[in-house]
Amino acid sequence: MSTTDALYERFKANLEAVNGECSLAAKADAAKVVADLFKEKGLKTTCVAETDFLKELGIVPALKDAGVEVFTDHIRLHAETAQGGISEAQYGIADLGSIMQIGDEVDARIVATMSEDYIGIVRESTIVDDYDAMFDTLCEMPEIPNFVGFVTGPSRTADIECVSTVGVHGPLRLYVVVVQDA
Amino acid sequence: MASLELKQEIQEALKNTTLSRTLGNFCATYPAKREKSYAGVDFEATRNSIKEVKSYAAEHIDELVDEFTKNCTARGGHVFRAKSTEEAMDWIRNLVKEKGVKTIVKSKSMASEEIHMNKTLASDGVLVQETDLGEFIIALEGNTPVHMVMPALHLNKEQVADFFTEYTHEKNEPIIAEEVKTARRVMREKFTTAEMGVSGANVAVAETGTVFTMTNEGNGRMVGTLPKIHLYVFGIEKFVKSLSDARYIFKALPRNGTGQRITSYISMYTGATEVVSDKDADTKEKKEFYAVILDDPGRRAILGDPDFREIYNCIRCGACLDVCPAFALLGGHVYGSNVYTGGIGTLLTHFLVSEERADEIQNICLQCGRCKEVCGGGLHIPEMIMKLRERSYESNPNPVYKFALDAVSDRKLFHSMLRIASVAQEPFTKGTNFIRHLPMFLSGMTEGRSLMSIAPVPFRDIFPTIQQKVENKKGTIGIFTGCLLDFAYVDIAKAVIADLNSIGYYVDMPMGQSCCGAPATYMGDRENAKKTAELNIEAMHADQYDYIVSACPTCTHQLREYKQFFEEGSDMYKKAVELGEKAFDFCKLFYDLGGLEESGDDTPITITYHDSCHLKRELGVFKEQRELLTKTNGINLVEMVDSDVCCGFGGTYSIKLPEVAAPILAKKIQHIQDTGASLVAVDCPGCLMQIRGGMDAHELPIEVKHTAVIIAEKRGLI
Ligand code: SF4
Ligand code: SF4
Repeated sequence: MSTTDALYERFKANLEAVNGECSLAAKADAAKVVADLFKEKGLKTTCVAETDFLKELGIVPALKDAGVEVFTDHIRLHAETAQGGISEAQYGIADLGSIMQIGDEVDARIVATMSEDYIGIVRESTIVDDYDAMFDTLCEMPEIPNFVGFVTGPSRTADIECVSTVGVHGPLRLYVVVVQDA
Repeated sequence: MASLELKQEIQEALKNTTLSRTLGNFCATYPAKREKSYAGVDFEATRNSIKEVKSYAAEHIDELVDEFTKNCTARGGHVFRAKSTEEAMDWIRNLVKEKGVKTIVKSKSMASEEIHMNKTLASDGVLVQETDLGEFIIALEGNTPVHMVMPALHLNKEQVADFFTEYTHEKNEPIIAEEVKTARRVMREKFTTAEMGVSGANVAVAETGTVFTMTNEGNGRMVGTLPKIHLYVFGIEKFVKSLSDARYIFKALPRNGTGQRITSYISMYTGATEVVSDKDADTKEKKEFYAVILDDPGRRAILGDPDFREIYNCIRCGACLDVCPAFALLGGHVYGSNVYTGGIGTLLTHFLVSEERADEIQNICLQCGRCKEVCGGGLHIPEMIMKLRERSYESNPNPVYKFALDAVSDRKLFHSMLRIASVAQEPFTKGTNFIRHLPMFLSGMTEGRSLMSIAPVPFRDIFPTIQQKVENKKGTIGIFTGCLLDFAYVDIAKAVIADLNSIGYYVDMPMGQSCCGAPATYMGDRENAKKTAELNIEAMHADQYDYIVSACPTCTHQLREYKQFFEEGSDMYKKAVELGEKAFDFCKLFYDLGGLEESGDDTPITITYHDSCHLKRELGVFKEQRELLTKTNGINLVEMVDSDVCCGFGGTYSIKLPEVAAPILAKKIQHIQDTGASLVAVDCPGCLMQIRGGMDAHELPIEVKHTAVIIAEKRGLI
């Protein structure tokens, strides 16, 4: 197993341990993997916070081809009703199954927060080993971006009788598609 | 002294069955969960780093606040440093008015609770919506948090369903998953319409002007993403210097808080982030970002007091509550500050909420030390609570206790009282080993409990008659018996001598010794504690012995701490140090001096071991006695659940708060019964008295003996 694949396997296992789902896709297949996921989960509408990388992967056309209603603008408005939310995550952390949302763009934050089913797309090359490695990376940034968020699995609570329940105010389900970009 | 009101509140808490079930379950499973979450992470190193970065911040607080202000402002934020809670609230009130805010969504902020934000703004006609599920529920109930991390632990799903039905005007079923869905639905509407979001910070970073918020539910993210105005409210204790410093806190916080390796969300906001200003036009702008920092006199008092400065290092993880035997039983409401609960809550209440309340609730602490083991900030919680107790006693001594403690520190008076007690109790003991009421001054303090009987002849009178056979003598050890061995458990003292004789040590008993002073210490009476220290230092003549042995860990610990009463370098101090360094608890000394070869009478017996708080946590002895026991042929040692959780004796605790001590003891007895053992080994006469009393009250045929006695009996030494 290559080191990146080993990182991916750890990432996946740790994400699954916190009720997330995870799949690995070659760059050429990523759009199809996402579209298949929508089919499999029966998701009919979604917001997408576009980035150059997501455009390059062709996520939006693939979803439209699959019959999904896709919103790429007026995200704040549509997020109130759309089931899905897709954005690019800037890093992954193998040891925790976390993805990182870094940057000021509000649309990316909205889709990751308001959707019921959130799909994070992360490049395999950006998966770091552990929490400390991630912090080191953050500390080395010349200026810390306005927003940095660790996202680990779907939202959860244990506030009623200490019973762990998945899905509260944030996403009820969280999927990460790791794209082999090397 | 615990007041009648506090005792009533305690009774109420004990009656809440949901609380005891949920909290009991949580606290029972918490230690293992926590332990597991630390796999691969060095907890000690982590908390040392936390201590380091927080101590640095405490020493440079003014610099850090200025630096934060500069950096946050440079990134488009506005910072207000409030010199009092009132000033903070006034400022927020004006802001809310000026901006025409009608609805606020709030994610957990303890600082905002301190300034009574919800109530004040509500009186201005503003809706402040708590969005954290637990906080939302207790807001519907009109109550305050029962736990720092899990505020609604005292309510069951049926009660929650009723509150939700009332709130939504629709029938809510008592199904947790459905209730969570309801919360999502009703809160969604608030998130999308509120003009302002309010957050609490877990950490604030000076160097970058960043604030951190950690949540699981995602409400913190909503509050920080949707409203156009975002207000942070937090105290100066949240500061660290650098971003890198913050990492240590978030390593411990989720693990200690809920046994998670990381929570679902950790979010960092630096200055004003982008927000959608008009969702229909899809326009975006920078939000209005405000940070109100509480720099009130209470917080300054913490920083200014060397005895309590450590409180600053608290990361509000709640671990100290989750392992606290008193908290596990009572929950947070009895602490009564409306904000902070448990041992740390007692300290915070003193400085930030009400000194009077803190005076009351410090009584709830058993001084068992369990919180200290897990504390994320490395705080000496029990020691600080003790300091509060001392200060409270100094300013307001309880006359009954004062009389008793004065008597105890006068050796001759105390000993003659005990001798009289020994005779006077005869008619009460009725041939059993227990009496319901101790005569004399002790009687008022012992109501409702079985206590031991006073020995007919004290050990100090028996000692000269003991024939010590020592072959190949290696040295001489002075025995410190403490009151309990001298006047009640003479058999333990005899066994200690027999055991030590068998490995070549002669034992001498300095007759001038008296009570170790622990009762005075635990009542907060420093003056009498010091008096007994002086008396014993002179009486024990540590310079004449190779070691000093005690079979009571509380005494041992007390002897070792005598030096704190004297000025460094003084003659008494030097003597105190010598005594402290030579003083060991029986098991530790016996083990270190070589212990015993494998031997014993081979009669099979199943034993379980109860760790005394002082022996395990203050003296760090827990392996030695187990090895001594298992090396004794015939003994089958079976560990009980939570062997190191306090038995409820806690020095004079069982006397002050029997209503709390009794259920703690009942739990201990249950754990003992579950092992199937017919004998409990203990190393502390206090635990022995407490557990024996429990066995007696429950009419259980399980014996309780000191390890020294078990060893001596099984090896035919007595
Ligand atoms: S010392 Fe024991 S009783 Fe006191 S706060 Fe700590 S855990 Fe609770
Ligand atoms: S006192 Fe220690 S254990 Fe308790 S909340 Fe503070 S850091 Fe956590």
